[in-house]
Amino acid sequence: MEHYDILIVGGGAAGISAAKAAKGKKVLLAEREEKLGGILLQCAHRGFGGDLSGMEYAATLADDLDNVEISLNTTVLSVSENKTALLSQKDCGRREISFSRLILATGAMEIAAGALHIAGDRPKGVYTAGMMQKLVNCNGFVPDGPVVILGSGDIGLIMAETVAKMDIPVTLVEKAAALGGMARNRRRLDGLDVGIRLGSTVSEIFGEKELEAVLLSNGEKLLCKTLLVAVGLECDRKLIKKLENPEWLRLCGNCERVHPMIESVINDGTQAGEWVCGI
Amino acid sequence: MKSYDAAVIGGGVLGCFALRSLCRYRLSAVLIEAQADVCMGITRANSAIVYAGYDNKPGSLKARMCVRANRRFHELCSELDVPFSRCGSLMTGCGEKAKAVLEKKYRDGIANGLEGLALISGDKARKMEPMLSRDVKMALYAPMTGTVNPWRLGIAACENAVHNGAELRLNTKLLTIEKTEGGYVLRTSTGDIFCKAVINCAGLSADMVQRMAFPCAVSIETDAADFIVMDKDIDNPAHIIFQEKENGKGITAVPCTEGNLLIDSAPRAMPRPFATDAAGIDSIKKQLTALLPELEQDIIRAFAAVRPNPHSEDGRSINDFCIETPAPGFVSLIGIKTPGLTCAEELGRYAAKICADYLNTEENPHFDGRRKAINCADDDIVCLCQGISRAEIIESIRRGARTVEAVKRRVGTGMGRCQGSRCEVRIAQILERYRNGTL
Ligand SMILES: Cc1cc2nc3c(=O)[nH]c(=O)nc-3n(C[C@H](O)[C@H](O)[C@H](O)COP(=O)(O)OP(=O)(O)OC[C@H]3O[C@@H](n4cnc5c(N)ncnc54)[C@H](O)[C@@H]3O)c2cc1C
Ligand SMILES: Cc1cc2nc3c(=O)[nH]c(=O)nc-3n(C[C@H](O)[C@H](O)[C@H](O)COP(=O)(O)OP(=O)(O)OC[C@H]3O[C@@H](n4cnc5c(N)ncnc54)[C@H](O)[C@@H]3O)c2cc1C
Repeated sequence: MEHYDILIVGGGAAGISAAKAAKGKKVLLAEREEKLGGILLQCAHRGFGGDLSGMEYAATLADDLDNVEISLNTTVLSVSENKTALLSQKDCGRREISFSRLILATGAMEIAAGALHIAGDRPKGVYTAGMMQKLVNCNGFVPDGPVVILGSGDIGLIMAETVAKMDIPVTLVEKAAALGGMARNRRRLDGLDVGIRLGSTVSEIFGEKELEAVLLSNGEKLLCKTLLVAVGLECDRKLIKKLENPEWLRLCGNCERVHPMIESVINDGTQAGEWVCGI
Repeated sequence: MKSYDAAVIGGGVLGCFALRSLCRYRLSAVLIEAQADVCMGITRANSAIVYAGYDNKPGSLKARMCVRANRRFHELCSELDVPFSRCGSLMTGCGEKAKAVLEKKYRDGIANGLEGLALISGDKARKMEPMLSRDVKMALYAPMTGTVNPWRLGIAACENAVHNGAELRLNTKLLTIEKTEGGYVLRTSTGDIFCKAVINCAGLSADMVQRMAFPCAVSIETDAADFIVMDKDIDNPAHIIFQEKENGKGITAVPCTEGNLLIDSAPRAMPRPFATDAAGIDSIKKQLTALLPELEQDIIRAFAAVRPNPHSEDGRSINDFCIETPAPGFVSLIGIKTPGLTCAEELGRYAAKICADYLNTEENPHFDGRRKAINCADDDIVCLCQGISRAEIIESIRRGARTVEAVKRRVGTGMGRCQGSRCEVRIAQILERYRNGTL
């Protein structure tokens, strides 16, 4: 079994930053996708490190990783108490490794519609907003309109902008009395034709096979073919669920807490890398 | 026009087992199903319990079939390579009325020949199931109760039937039936079929299907029940827990073979089929807190079921299984609700035997009841929540899955925490490549 000083799980902004900071150690950076970058790779909008798109920003991040062994297309399946991990690499098979320190940088997962248990039917056409972002920006997918977006956090706002710019009718539904997200993301909607319903939520879904309409808690029924659920992210800590806070483990980036800005993710990742090197 | 000895209408768990049971005889058989996959009706949404048989009136067909089916369930599931867990059940009560219900069920269970059944105190129940609320005063323990995934069972039976030579016609809706010389012409959305015998397993429409050719004294009326599903990896109860309240049936919590806890509610009125009800879901959560106060409620999905309630012409509800034979060689299973899943194989065999006797055919010596589950994981993980790989998905497509939903029902993709947000696109791409022949 091969031994590494440090295993980093997840090659998004946090994992990459941690790998860069872990100088002089034998590091393995495992990423399940075929490219490093994580969530950045699906962000076509500008606003990363100044005025770059997420995709451009990811490219600048991923250079200067010469001292790191990078294993792409590799999912870490499990981590155990005795400091070993099981990895599954596409076309190469499974392998077990041992490590001295573990940095978890697995990012966050969107809260899916199922967890909200909205009443009504369960038709096609209900997506999480981040999944739609990836479909649109990476696969050239065009959602069926009209579109309703539930939740006006940063992802909801960005998707409202994306959909409106495709000339598809879109309505943003937010439970709070005002739009959420960062001010600069709210400004993205300026001048765009986006319907906004505040103080309301989706309380029922209609459509036996395909989505037809949603009923809002204020009694209004909105006809729509696509519903994007953008009600937040939750830290993805599935891998360490069974572990009891061992001292050899550190979390960084969105799996530690959800960060709205890339700078703080990078900071967090860098600190994690330095911390494991220091011991 | 294609011609068969026997046709099964409807591919729920009952139709799938009817088809498989027909294969035990020397005859040609076809199953027609309106939807894109089998097991998308009632079979898709139910409580997944393999009942012991104490709920049914001694002497009834339900009681006889249920007890027999339960005893044979392990064997059936090993034949079909479907996970089955004989986890046992505790029916809990907190007051005098529930106590009377539990005692009656105990007596009925003994009369039905059940072994191991025991009425136990609340403290004893909490020893077995430490999460149970202090309010539970007594319980009926049934060690033989179990759980099985309903569509996995139905799909396995269907695969096995096809393996034994039966035909499956999906996306094929039966429109009308015409009686002709020596049999029936089934007019369907994909063309006409001739058959000598019919097994009608059309679930919610079984009464209507029989009326296409004969009168039907039984009518199906529907109501609904709500369900919630918890994420895996929480500390679940080890047993199936039924809640008998002072005012009737409460919730049921089932630790499923996949590791999720499934909770159902008492029936409610149904405005729209398979649509969930906000008040219903809230009430499940409240009752669950009362029954299992320490349980972490980590809900990943809610869904609703439709219950087919058979009624006679004078409006009385019928409590036993309704099996009609309006003509020799035409069998209808009408409004089969609980314990229809438990008895699916029994019912299928029963109906197939009627057809075989009518057709005057012998047993098929080549029938092979064994089927193997998909077991070919590779290293390309597609469903991250459940750890399901590309090779398993491709194998499910080879075995007949044609939609993302059908893949999900076969290998369990998209059933974890993210509910398919992260893998649906990739699975759709794999299906697309399969269709184009570029896989
Ligand atoms: C939609 C959206 C828009 C944003 N817009 C902006 C913006 O405009 N400006 C800004 O500054 N910030 C923005 N952010 C915030 C910031 O960019 C992100 O929070 C940050 O990129 C997250 O980095 P991360 O490394 O923590 O997580 P991720 O990027 O999610 O990386 C996690 C990585 O771990 C991998 N992984 C997970 N589990 C495993 C496993 N078991 N085995 C192997 N690999 C695994 C995943 O494939 C992924 O690559 C945005 C965030 C989101 C979600
Ligand atoms: C809420 C609930 C909980 C239950 N819990 C349990 C339990 O825990 N244990 C247990 O043993 N039993 C349980 N049952 C009972 C069990 O689920 C049913 O008995 C069983 O699933 C019925 O299967 P089916 O094949 O009759 O119906 P379905 O699965 O509905 O199949 C009927 C099929 O016929 C097709 N069809 C209809 N009309 C046509 C047409 N014209 N042409 C072509 N195809 C057609 C439909 O598309 C459908 O696929 C429960 C039932 C309910 C409602």
